[in-house]
Order: sequence, then structure tokens, then C-alpha cells
Amino acid sequence: MTVLVADDNEVAQRLCRRVLEKAGHKVLTASDGQEAVNIALGPAGAPDMILMDVAMPGMDGLEAMRQIKAQKPGLAIVIASAHSMASDRERFLAAGADEVLSKPFKLTDLTSVVDRLAVHKAEA
Amino acid sequence: MSPDPSQRPSPEPSPGLVRGFAPFAATLLVLAFGVTALGAGLLPTEWKQPAFLVALAVLVVVAGVVFESLRRTTASAVSARREADDLHQSEEMLKVAVESAPVGLGLADSTGRWVLVNDGLGTILGRSKLDLAQTSLLSVTAPESAPILQEGLDHARSSSARWEGEIVQIRADGTHVPVSLALLAVRHDHEEPQLVLVQESDISETRRSEAVNDALVAVRHAVATSATWDQAAPSVLSALGARLGRDVAQFWSLDADRQELKLAQSWQGDDPELADFERTCRAIGLPPNDGLLGRARLAGVPAVNTAVSPQSEPALGSAAWHAGLTEAVAFPVVAGRDVNGVIALFARHPQAVDDAVMTMLTTVGAEVGQFIRRAQTAQTLQRSEADHRAIFEHAPIGIARVSAEGDLLEANAALLEMLEHDLETLRTQAWPELLRAYDLAAGRASLAPLLAGLSDGGSVQVRAATGGGRWLWLQMTATSIPDERGKPEHVLLMVEDVTRVRETQDKLAEALEAQRSANTDLEKLDRAKTEFLSIVSHEFRTALTGIQGFSELIRDGGLEPDELRAYGGYIFNDAERVNRLIGDMLDLDRMESGRMTMRSADVDVNEVLSDTIARASSSNLVEFKSDLDPRLPIVTGDRDRLVQVVSNLVNNAVKYSPEGGTVTLSSRAEGAYALITVADTGLGIPPDEIGHVFERFRRVRSGAAQSIAGTGLGLTIVKQIVEMHGGKIWIESALGHGSAFHFTIPLAPETVAPAAQLRHA
Repeated sequence: MTVLVADDNEVAQRLCRRVLEKAGHKVLTASDGQEAVNIALGPAGAPDMILMDVAMPGMDGLEAMRQIKAQKPGLAIVIASAHSMASDRERFLAAGADEVLSKPFKLTDLTSVVDRLAVHKAEA
Repeated sequence: MSPDPSQRPSPEPSPGLVRGFAPFAATLLVLAFGVTALGAGLLPTEWKQPAFLVALAVLVVVAGVVFESLRRTTASAVSARREADDLHQSEEMLKVAVESAPVGLGLADSTGRWVLVNDGLGTILGRSKLDLAQTSLLSVTAPESAPILQEGLDHARSSSARWEGEIVQIRADGTHVPVSLALLAVRHDHEEPQLVLVQESDISETRRSEAVNDALVAVRHAVATSATWDQAAPSVLSALGARLGRDVAQFWSLDADRQELKLAQSWQGDDPELADFERTCRAIGLPPNDGLLGRARLAGVPAVNTAVSPQSEPALGSAAWHAGLTEAVAFPVVAGRDVNGVIALFARHPQAVDDAVMTMLTTVGAEVGQFIRRAQTAQTLQRSEADHRAIFEHAPIGIARVSAEGDLLEANAALLEMLEHDLETLRTQAWPELLRAYDLAAGRASLAPLLAGLSDGGSVQVRAATGGGRWLWLQMTATSIPDERGKPEHVLLMVEDVTRVRETQDKLAEALEAQRSANTDLEKLDRAKTEFLSIVSHEFRTALTGIQGFSELIRDGGLEPDELRAYGGYIFNDAERVNRLIGDMLDLDRMESGRMTMRSADVDVNEVLSDTIARASSSNLVEFKSDLDPRLPIVTGDRDRLVQVVSNLVNNAVKYSPEGGTVTLSSRAEGAYALITVADTGLGIPPDEIGHVFERFRRVRSGAAQSIAGTGLGLTIVKQIVEMHGGKIWIESALGHGSAFHFTIPLAPETVAPAAQLRHA
């Protein structure tokens, strides 16, 4: 399974890549929203799932999610944000997120979210 | 028979004709004389009475015959006896004629002694013919008339013309009677006259009617020249009393509850008994419906009592009787249906009260009544006018009377005091301005519509300067005063000084506004705090993501040594970032609360700039340039803080610069300051954001810059530090071309002199 990690924070990118690759997934990375859209809707190597930060330079994660969902509604997107108030969670789900992951997160939370979505995808 | 004068007998008739001639000649003469006199209109009116004319003619003829006879007697002794017979016969006829004449007739010799009198004369003078014959014309004449009479006799002696005059004569009982007198000398040819023909008539009646008229005229004059009844009364009463021959004239007024007549004004002669009568009258009240005065009041017409006595007049008869007043006339003073009072006239001697007098008194009563009512109305009006005038003058609020054209007609004392003007300067200087202010406040273009629509009594508040230069708030309320046709004739402007009220209102409004503003500020602060928490927590959680995640990896073990090193580095960096954020927040809090202390020392600004470039350029993709003035004097400041400022600005510049951009640092002296600039070729700041970049948590959020990370406190801290040094910071920016941050730091005091100390090497 291919997971796109979109995050402008280099440390966060590396953490996610390390954890997800260890779990057996293929990891793609993007540093801003536009890059994430390009990869997600690109012709080759499209991801099965996206782990999307919100606060990114240029196009932010929510706008990127809106554009991607407009083209590929079935592509699972997990919003991973340090905006972690209760109202933020609702806001992200309303914007179309399949899951919301609050930063900082436990590593098992990350893998279990990805696995859950992978199963869901497999069933679909 | 023809009255032709040519038939008059010749002056020289034959003796034989004389006997039968006299009666015939007399008749002829009467006719001739009467016709001539009537035709010529020479005689006074009363002489034209036929009876009188007959008598006169008879007298003339008789007189002529007597003289002729006398002459002939002397001339012709022969015919004397015969003529004496004729004469006797003529005398008898003459006597009959004279006796029967209805006026007073007499013959007097040249000294005035009576030769012949008739009954009429006796009646006029109140004497018998016999008594009268013992007197002379002069002795029955009042002394004051003697000169007039003497003049008449002198005239008659010297002239053949008739003399006429009016004199007063004395009757037997001592009373006076006015008579008109005519004297005509009886002369023969040109001889000295021996006899004077005297004709008298009683003109008491005429005099009385004249007196009545005079009294009425005098009353009218008194009334016309007086403003009040109190002023007019003395003249009216004296006119009535004196001219109508009364001794006392009084005005009795009806009191308010119509229970009594009280003596209000009185006129009388100087007699002490009359003064006593007045005193007595003043002390009493007369019944309004009884007695002479009460009856006159009740009936509304004059009443007369010619025999005043204690019995006939219970209330004042006794006093009148003591004063010798026996006759009283009372007439009401009437205005419409109201009787204001009664005027009473008292006399000691009965006076004729004929219809003329009654009519006249009735007229006087009505006219005086009307006058009293008019005077009362005028007085009431005057009092009302005086009341309004007093209100105008003494009102505690300002009042102005304004003409239909807007000109100031009058201003009361309160208004003048309020506006600190006298009437003239107010009228000419301040008024036009005040009216303009009024029109503006009332939303009117000109005064004309103001006047037209002013009955509403609406008020406006205007700002106006006083003569003393104080500014007042004036509340102006206008009321239009219409003329008889209902058109606004002038306007009353009520002006109140509401400055204090207005200022209180304004202060209240200001306080409310300040409260609202404070609330808004609090709300803003509240939002800023929430935002602050949101941003700070986001920053912390972002940093903690790496720290927590890599710590977990390390804890779970199984890592290669190079992995461990790398992950330890990530953890360290993020921990450091968290620490920096905490430091910034604490710094700012100290600076904003004034608890930050500076360690001031000499600082070389160029060195600070060079060091910052050296540290920054190693890890960046932008190009650094420097344009440092080598002659820049040293400044006084806290070096660590200045480093913080410069590195913050540089980091900012780098952060917002695209790869390959240029960041330029420059320095130069600008007056007493060092001017430092950090310029980049980055995104630039939108114009509407420039004013806010130094605010806390205010990062440029729009466009490409919206997601650039930062604490949001950096520039706020920079500004605080610069200002703590006594400098300023500002921004020049062009969107898409980059920004330049300029700030100044004061030069060290000893380096500001013209020969500025040069920095070494």
C-alpha cells in the first residue's frame, strides 16, 4: 500500500516515513499542498492513502484535500494536524477527512489508522 | 290801507286836525314801523313778537305825541286846553297799551328814575308797580352790573341808536334775576333826550339752559382729558355743581357686593357746614334701593327731592338739613345695564329742575358710566400689559422679540446677560449669526419659512459664542405671535442656556463610548489570547511531534547507531525550538510589563551585523550582502538584545525570501542615530498588512506567506527592543519585490559631536 505523507515539517516527514515503511507500506512525501495534489492526481504511482498536514506554505492541507477529493472521492485522506482542539477535529471531518490524527501522536495510533483504512479499502 | 310811508302826516298839521289825528296817526305809525322793522330784520328775535312790536310802536307814538303836544302847548297857548284833552286821551291809551304788554316796559328819565312802569316789569323784579316807582333803574340793578347799565344810559343819551345789553337785577326778596335790557332815548328833533324807553325780559330760563349746556360741555371736557374716573371726578362734580347752581355735588359708588352706596368723591364750596356734611356722608353707607339715591340707582333715571328732611331722607336727610341743603337731585351713572353709582347734587335754594336738566343729567350719567367702564378696561389692559412687560423684563430665561423679517426688536435682561452683549451689539453683531445657527439647526434655508411654520413651538439647540468669547449651548424655542388676520407678525424666541446640561450629556456619551471602546478592546484582547493559545499550542505540538515520535522509536529499541544519532539530533532541535518559544513569550511579557532590564554598553553595530551574516549564511540558500558604513560611530545599547533584533529580522528576511533571493544588511549614521536596514527580495507585505506586522501573533497570512511558520512574537519583540533603546522601526515594502526593515539606535553621547569618534579598523 502506498501512503503519501504531505508535511512541511521535515522531522515529521522522516518520522512518518520511518514508521510506515517499517510497517510495510510504500511512502511518498510532499512539502506543501500543491505538491500533494500533483502527486495524488498524477498519472503514475498514485497513493492509496494520504496523511495530510494542515499548516503548510502555499496551498494548505484543507485546500489540497478539497481538490483531491473533487477528483478522487474514494481516496482516503487522514488529516494529521497540531491544531488539536475538539472544534478542529469536527472542522476537518466536515471538510471531508476520513480520519483525523492529532499531533503529537503515538506511533501505534498512526499505524492503526493506516491499517484500518487499508482494510476498508481492501473490503471496498 | 296802504302802509305807504308817504301817508305819514305832515310835521305841521293844522291845529284843527290834531284832535282827530292822534289815534289814526298812532295806528299808521305802528304799521309803518312794524313793517319797516320786520323788513329790515334789525330787531332782536324776541322783539319781533307782534305783541312787543305793538307795545313799542305805541310807546314811540305816544312819546312823540307827548312832545308834540308839549311843544304845541308852548307854541300855541290858545289851543292848549283842547290839546291837553287830546293828550289825556292819548295817555290813557298809552297806559292801557303799556300795561297790557307781556314784557317789562318802562320809561325812565335821564337819571334812570322811573317815570312809567308796567306790570311785566314788576313781575320780573318781584315788586309791585307802586314799590317800583319809588326806585330807579340803577337801584334795582346788581352792583356788578352797574357799570354796564351806566354805559347803556350814556349811550342812549348820546345816540339815537338802540342800546342792548344783559344785566343782573335785584328782586324785592334779594334774589338776582338776569335780564336782557334795551334802552332807547326818546328825543324830539335834536333836543337833549328827556326820557329813556326801557325794555326788559327775564332771561333766567335762557341762562339756565345755557348753564345746562355749559355743564354738559364741561363734563365732557373733564372726561375727555382724564385717564381714570378718579382723575375726572373732581372736574365733573365741580362742573355740575357750580354750573347748575348747586352747593354740593357727590359721586356715590356701589360697593363690590352691591350692598351699599359709599361716597367716593365730593365737591362743595368752602363753607365749613358743607365740609361737615361731606364728613358725615363719608362715614355712612346708603341703602342701594332706598332713599333718593337708592331710588335713582334702582330706577336708572334721575330722581328729585325738593324738600330734603330727616323724614324724607332717613339716611342723610338730617346731615343735609343741618347744612341747610333742602333740594337734592340724584341720577345714576350707567354703563349698559350696570349702574356704577349715583351722582347727587344738593342745593340750599331750590333750583328749577326742568326737562332740559333731567335730560342733561341722564346724558351725563350715561357718558360718565361709559367712561368709567372704558377707563376700567384700559386700566385692566394696562395692568395686563404691565404684567407681561414684567414677565419679559424679569424672566429668568432669555426672551427676544423678533420681527417678521428676523430683526431683533427687543431682548430682555436675562438674554443680554446670557449672551454678554448690550442690545445694540447683540442686534448688529451677534444676532444675524445666532439666527443662521438657528436656521441651520432647524434645517431651514431662510428665516421666511421659519416664521411661517413657527406655531409648533418646536425648539432646537445651537452653539453660540457670547460677547465675552464663551461658547454656549442655547436651547431656542420659538412662538409666533399672529396679527389680527392670523399672519405671523412677530416671533418670541425663548432662549435657555443649556450648556451645562449639554456638557453633562456629552461627558456621559464620551464615558459610554469609552466604556464601549474598552469592551471592544477587552474582546479583542480576549480573541488575541485565544489566538495566542491556539498558535502557541500548535507550535508546541508540532515540535513535540518529532520529540515524542522519535523518543518512542528510541525507547522501543532495535535501532542502528546512526539512526539513534540522527533521531537524537531531531529531538534536540525541536526541544530547542520549544525552549525558544517559551523564551520569546517570557521576554515579551517582561518587556510589555516594563520588567525587562537592559545592560547598556558601547556596541559596534557593524560588528553585530557582520556576525549575524556569518552565522546565517552557512545554512541558507539566499545570498547575503552587506553595505556597512565604516565611519559609523558606536552606539549605546544592550549588545545581546541588538543581536536578537538583527538575527530576528534576518531570519524573517530569509524565511520570506525565495531560493536564490538576496538579503542585504546596511548601516549608516543618520543625525544622532545609527540607521540599520535589513532588506530582502522576498514576497513583500501587502499594504493593508504593513500596519499590523509588529502586532503579537500577527503573521502575514495571505497568499503565499500564509503558512510560513514562526512564533508570531519575533517582530513584536524586535519593536519593543528598538523602542527600549530610544529608536524607531519601520517598513518599506513592495508586494512581490521584497521588504526593507529600517530601525534606528541612538549613537553614544560622546560620539555625536561633529568630529565623531571613528570606529577602529
